[in-house]
Amino acid sequence: MSGAGDREPVFPTRQSLGLMKAKLKGAETGHNLLKRKSEALTNPNTVPEITRRIDEAKRKMGRVMQIASLSLAEVTYAVGGNIGYQIQESAKSARFRVRAKQENVSGVLLPAFEAYQTEGNNDFAMTGLGKGGQQVQRCRETYARAVEALVELASLQTAFVILDEVIKVVNRRVNAIEHVIIPRTENTIKYINSELDELDREEFYRLKKVANKKQRDTAAADAEMKKKNAEREANGEKHKAPEVDDSTPADILQAEGDEDIIF
Amino acid sequence: MEGLLFNVNNGYLEGIVRGYRNGLLTGANYTNMTQCENIDDLKLQLGPAYGDFLAALPPNPSTSSLAAKTTEKLVSEFRYVRANAVGSLAKFMDYLTYGYMIDNVALLITGTLHERDTRELLDRCHPLGWFETMPVLCVATNIEELYNSVLIETPLAPYFKGSLIHQDLDELNIEIVRNTLYKNYLEDFYRFVNSHPDMAGTPTSEVMSELLEFEADRRAINITLNSFGTELSKADRKKLYPSFGSLYPEGTLMLSRADDFEGVRLAVEGVADYKSFFEAAGLGGGPGGPGNMAGGTGSDGRSLEDMFYQKEMEIAKGTFTRQFTYAIVYSWVKLREQEIRNITWIAECIAQNQKERIGNYISVF
Repeated sequence: MSGAGDREPVFPTRQSLGLMKAKLKGAETGHNLLKRKSEALTNPNTVPEITRRIDEAKRKMGRVMQIASLSLAEVTYAVGGNIGYQIQESAKSARFRVRAKQENVSGVLLPAFEAYQTEGNNDFAMTGLGKGGQQVQRCRETYARAVEALVELASLQTAFVILDEVIKVVNRRVNAIEHVIIPRTENTIKYINSELDELDREEFYRLKKVANKKQRDTAAADAEMKKKNAEREANGEKHKAPEVDDSTPADILQAEGDEDIIF
Repeated sequence: MEGLLFNVNNGYLEGIVRGYRNGLLTGANYTNMTQCENIDDLKLQLGPAYGDFLAALPPNPSTSSLAAKTTEKLVSEFRYVRANAVGSLAKFMDYLTYGYMIDNVALLITGTLHERDTRELLDRCHPLGWFETMPVLCVATNIEELYNSVLIETPLAPYFKGSLIHQDLDELNIEIVRNTLYKNYLEDFYRFVNSHPDMAGTPTSEVMSELLEFEADRRAINITLNSFGTELSKADRKKLYPSFGSLYPEGTLMLSRADDFEGVRLAVEGVADYKSFFEAAGLGGGPGGPGNMAGGTGSDGRSLEDMFYQKEMEIAKGTFTRQFTYAIVYSWVKLREQEIRNITWIAECIAQNQKERIGNYISVF
């Protein structure tokens, strides 16, 4: 029996042996399935692909943001002042919107964001009418592109984080099943088997003992009987024979009753 | 003749302003600035010109705080000149501030329209456009009150009175309001320099007419170009053109009918300067190319806006060749504003590490 802590607290009975065997089978099936899922998730089409795209998107973001902030500087140069407040106040509804949808990658739901622009929603078209209007519009276009890059990046990043989490969970489960649950169940089965064997052996030994004792008793009873017969024959009292016959059945009953108690 | 008595009242200030003009950064300064590696270096380069004002800045300041400090210097110098000005020069300088005032009032109107606490906006107002009674405008809670207090409290009343009623503030786009005011302001300023007895027929009216005409033309062209693709109708657009300038009246009439960049180019054909601007800008793609990834005009071609600024600076520089004129104050303010824009641009390029377009500043000295 290896390590009492490594088995489940069950009574070593045949019923629990059956349960354990079913459990072991279930664990093995589950292990196989999870292993396959983990392989599917880590295959070269998902995670490395996503990391590559994140890398690309980040580089793109760096470029676009740089251009965008320079175009903002251009606006400041052309307008010759701060128009931030004016822009803030004249914006009424969002022109640039994000739609979220779900994608299914080997049983994992990944959110994907999609950016789109509503048409005919140009709240500050007239900003900088007197001067700098073109720069303002251009700046807006550039920033729209920058936000687009950000949305793409956000979508990839979220997918990556979720996928990473799922892969971790799956691997943890695979490992748990492989290294904890299966050995423990096996141990339990072994334990139950050995306990049951021991019980069998004990039983066998006891039965043997009982048989021995019975033999001994029978032998003793035979010996006594022989002695009595010999005495009777020696005394020659033939009429007393029925008396002896009457008493023997009672003796046999008593002996049987004693045996019951021993059992 | 005008030189005879000019110095009695204005000689000192003319001297001061000429001194300020000599303090403007030169081409060599700009070349040094573009060599800077970081904002601190830039600050060091600006030391001689802006020393006291930049001293309070923390190491590696943001470009906006740099711009704010450089503007502060302009404002303090302007206030000094204004405090020493008398008579018609004082009035002239007041006129100069009206343009900024229009921006401030437009800002307050925007705030009131959106029911913001306009008191917070006072900090954002341009200090040159500050007037004593500006905080009073913040008391107004609705647009009608604001309209009435603008009429009573500000020097801008005449610009509102003729062309805007209080419903307009509510209904019209704030940009239209602003440009209507600016148009009225330019016309009034033009009238002022040409009709005031101290200025009519002097170099002041001559030089100022040139400057204001240029400003009027530039606004007309810009408004036209920027209105393409917006809901501004041609009739409304026509109302925003100032009624003077070298384009007026034929050019502006044609501008009001223009539908595209080409139309504008035809409209300004009559003025040689603008024609050459448009030819240069036309080659560079004009304003029609917002989709290019460079985020703006390419480094090779200058935008129309740049060329207008360049032209304005050249006229302003030319002003200093004349004597006995108030126009040097106007020119000095414009040159300083351009200088601040240049500094901000260079600082921005350095901060963002985008040296390839750092040379886009405009230097005339």
